[in-house]
Amino acid sequence: MALEFSPEALKQFEATVARYPKKEAAMLPVLYLAQKEFGHLGPEAIAYVARLMEQSPARVQGVVSFYTMYNVKPIGRHHIQVCRTLSCALGGAEKITALIKKQLGIEPGQTTADGRFTLSEVECLASCGTAPMMQVNDEYYEGLTEEKLTAILDSLK
Amino acid sequence: MDPVKITIDGKEVVTAKGKTVIQAAAEAGVAIPHYCYHSKLSIAGNCRMCLVEIEKMPKLQIACNTQVAEGMGVLTQSPKVLAVRKAVLEFLLINHPVDCPICDQAGECQLQNYYMEHNREASRFEVGKQHDRKKTIFGPNVIFDGERCIKCTRCVRFCQEITKTDELAVINRGDHSTIALFNDQVLDNPLSANVVDICPVGALTDRDFRFKVRVWYLQKTPSVCPGCSTGCNISVEAYQNRIARFKPRINEAVNSHWICDEGRYCFHELTGGERLTTPMIRQEGGLVPATWENALQAVLAGLRSAKAAAGILSGRSTNEETFLFAKLMKKLAPSSPLEVCYQERELSETQKVLMSPDRAPNFRGARDMGVGSNGGYESLLQKLLTGDFSAAYVVGEELIGANGAGERLRAALQKLSFLVVQDIRLSETAKLAHVVLPATHFGEKEGTYTNRKGRVQKLNAAVIAPESVLQDWQTFLRLLDLAGEKLSYSTPSQIFQALAGEVALYRGISYATIGDQGIQLGGGGVEQS
Amino acid sequence: MEKVLLRNIGVTDSHSLAVYQSRGGYQSWEKVVRNMKPAELIEEVKSSGLRGRGGAGFPTGMKWSFVPKDSPKPKYLVCNADESEPGTFKDRLLIEQDPHAIIEGTLIAAFAIQSHTAFIYIRGELVAGSKILERAVEEDCRAGYIGKNIFGSNYDLDVIVHRGAGAYICGEETALLSSLEGGRGWPKVKPPFPATHGLFGCPTVVNNVETLAALPWILERGAAAYAAMGTEKSKGTKLFSVSGHITRPGVYELEMGYPFKKFLEEDCGGVANGRKLKGVIPGGGSMPVLRPEELEKVNLDYESVQAAGSMLGSGGVIVMDDTTCMVRAASNIARFYAHESCGQCSPCREGCHWMEKIFHRIEHGEGQTGDLDLILNISGNIMGNTICPFGDAAAMPAAAFIRKFRDEFEAHIAEKRCTVSTQ
Repeated sequence: MALEFSPEALKQFEATVARYPKKEAAMLPVLYLAQKEFGHLGPEAIAYVARLMEQSPARVQGVVSFYTMYNVKPIGRHHIQVCRTLSCALGGAEKITALIKKQLGIEPGQTTADGRFTLSEVECLASCGTAPMMQVNDEYYEGLTEEKLTAILDSLK
Repeated sequence: MDPVKITIDGKEVVTAKGKTVIQAAAEAGVAIPHYCYHSKLSIAGNCRMCLVEIEKMPKLQIACNTQVAEGMGVLTQSPKVLAVRKAVLEFLLINHPVDCPICDQAGECQLQNYYMEHNREASRFEVGKQHDRKKTIFGPNVIFDGERCIKCTRCVRFCQEITKTDELAVINRGDHSTIALFNDQVLDNPLSANVVDICPVGALTDRDFRFKVRVWYLQKTPSVCPGCSTGCNISVEAYQNRIARFKPRINEAVNSHWICDEGRYCFHELTGGERLTTPMIRQEGGLVPATWENALQAVLAGLRSAKAAAGILSGRSTNEETFLFAKLMKKLAPSSPLEVCYQERELSETQKVLMSPDRAPNFRGARDMGVGSNGGYESLLQKLLTGDFSAAYVVGEELIGANGAGERLRAALQKLSFLVVQDIRLSETAKLAHVVLPATHFGEKEGTYTNRKGRVQKLNAAVIAPESVLQDWQTFLRLLDLAGEKLSYSTPSQIFQALAGEVALYRGISYATIGDQGIQLGGGGVEQS
Repeated sequence: MEKVLLRNIGVTDSHSLAVYQSRGGYQSWEKVVRNMKPAELIEEVKSSGLRGRGGAGFPTGMKWSFVPKDSPKPKYLVCNADESEPGTFKDRLLIEQDPHAIIEGTLIAAFAIQSHTAFIYIRGELVAGSKILERAVEEDCRAGYIGKNIFGSNYDLDVIVHRGAGAYICGEETALLSSLEGGRGWPKVKPPFPATHGLFGCPTVVNNVETLAALPWILERGAAAYAAMGTEKSKGTKLFSVSGHITRPGVYELEMGYPFKKFLEEDCGGVANGRKLKGVIPGGGSMPVLRPEELEKVNLDYESVQAAGSMLGSGGVIVMDDTTCMVRAASNIARFYAHESCGQCSPCREGCHWMEKIFHRIEHGEGQTGDLDLILNISGNIMGNTICPFGDAAAMPAAAFIRKFRDEFEAHIAEKRCTVSTQ
């Protein structure tokens, strides 16, 4: 089944491309759009974007695989990204990760069986003053404690 | 050309504005080690192997991206430079697999070469090496080993900038970076195997040549590709008297650094199969071996008595051979039309980067020698089909192929009262002949081809023909002799001298002036069709 | 000290145009468009002594002046909002709470180089921030600050908010441009330089968020007022992001030249939980760590920190108390750089991961004598030999941790475990 943008997404695609002085500059936002539409950027999605952007799929694959925020495989509904860089490490990031591992039963890089959570350890999220912290999908959760963490995880269905 | 004076290692060098240090150095005979730099590709600057010291600049600079400036002082052998080369090599080697014993690149590997020249130290790397895909087929001609790859990106840039097919990309990041095709795509563009030539290490290797022979055993002979009339310059590399591979030779006037895949591997088809080693004459039971004396007499008799003969020469015949063939046929059957095999096909845009639409490397030379004309081959074939001829002399070409028209040709050839075929094997055409003469193939010939654009280039024999086989020019000379015209040429060079005297266009040219880069006829490159 | 950068922080709805305008916002922009020529604008910013606040500290006015004025190619101004340096979160504060200051600064900088298309390249993870910026840009379009014939002049300017997708290297200006061109975040070989050959080969200037956010104040109050603050070579004020084992983490604005020790002990409340200071990184994860005794004479300006053997960088101050295992800290930073290396050039691609692996081995009790000198040697082989400063950014901290805390590293190797009580 060939992947394609919905009419709304196609309109968004065209509007996005029109903003930039050259079509190729729209690659990153178009990939975000495709990721939103298709869930993740597997080979079909990449081939489709390549066609739309008039570039070789190999080149698009090179772009997708460079950046951490493009998912080449499906992930859980809630992507938990715990910052592990120095300030957060000093602030107890390891403990937070250990707690999440225990509560969800998964290792970093894995997704819960029910597809609810994916856990990742990521690098500095520019929130060092409120360490330890994590990003879940688009939201930042800062100054985490065990209680706060449990409440947040419970609230994420 | 704006001259610029610089010094390299203390010696004054006059170069030109716009050149980079690595170019100026190369032109002055100073080799600066490098991987990612290639004169035909954009600057990547990622290997860092060409770092040199520039006086008055605090940091080392990459020679491939530093423009020459008046008074610039370049040091390529200073302690800082030697130290950084060692360091860069060490970095490249820490994740490099010690595959040398099983790697085809050994003996022509820039990692090996520079290591021996600039490093030679034992490894200090004792933590686990990064692993990647090994023996991964990229395409029909190319196989990839990700662990050997040094990410110089020459292959990626080649596909972006030369073939413009963009199949290869660097994927992932950091030391997980690797070269990949997309999904199940294949690296099969018409020039794909050039990435093997430009890969400095054994990451991209040739599938056809894989594990065949160690490169230091190869005997290398400069020659010209017999694939088509572009006339790419090649090095024919042989082992134990068999051609193992072609490599392109640099000729900026013809093929630059490249050769197409079809040309690169054409030697298989053009030299393979069971060789004819003796002349044959048709008798009642079929073709039987004969002596040269008897066979040649039979040719003479057959052609002289023919009512209407035709001469068909392979596009792979040299100028020297063609010159003599024309003389011969004029003597034996003066009114016979002579044609060189020439057929065109459609080429894709990528093929057009290098290839010509024919498979006749010397069609133009042949026409210069008096064999063939525009559209002549097609009309001669037509006449053959309509039974206009009673005899034919076919040299070096299989007329009966796998296609339909071939079968009609078979019927036409069978109706000839006299057919002589000169070829390296007993082809389908040869099987119909009354006399069969063994011949040599391009790899055994010394002679010249004139390419589509009028450039005369030299072929050199890379392998030796079987003992009992004569060179085509020797066969023609003997026939001429038997026919009463004794010409005293004993080498192709002498034949060329003679043709240069008789064919106006070739006046003043000799093997010496042709050299290994060829010479342009009439001073201009006018393309013929 | 009068606040330049944090003057609107803490005010309710400071992110909205209405509040920003009520506090004098966009008056500088109007002054620039109506009354100034690009040349005099560049001179004014030069006189202010403003230096790039992303980490390199290059004089801003001078950077603008490198753009060829009579080039027929379009010129681009890019606001670098890709804040990813460990320990740094000052740009994020401005993005979320004073976006208009950033935008106004972006407009002013664009005018200086006569660019008609400005980009704000914001790291992909700051989703909330990008939405705030987009809304602010929309407000500006409606108000006529962005668009065609601004203030009735014939100057057009478009502003595009562009999200990155997760790569620290995109904070390096040429990598940012590669990314903005739609490609992998690969730094470009220099020369040529962005000022002449930047985005799509056109003259481009990339300025940090904090640098741009200072411009409205400078244009309002004058270059001399800005230059009156700070030291002789480090003018004005700077934001410092303070984190780690500190009582009052957060973003602070200080006049350049403020004493480092005083800042930590008084303004930030000293080391948290009454513990002792063991080490502090002054300018973000790529800068050499300083021992407490080294802080005595250090002031927070470019020259003073450099004289102490480190660099002011992004002003990301990471405080480490005496429970900190420096081997762990070094290993953490080494892993950061190995993860973020773009992989283009050989010393960084191979060297960063090599160092990471050695640090990891030491941390986990498998260190060998010779490992420390090996890391120092690798670090030296990377420094200065890479396409971009990332190599230096990875090499410097690795060497500094070992040099400043060698005893601890050697003990860790000898005992095959951490000899400091860790949290």
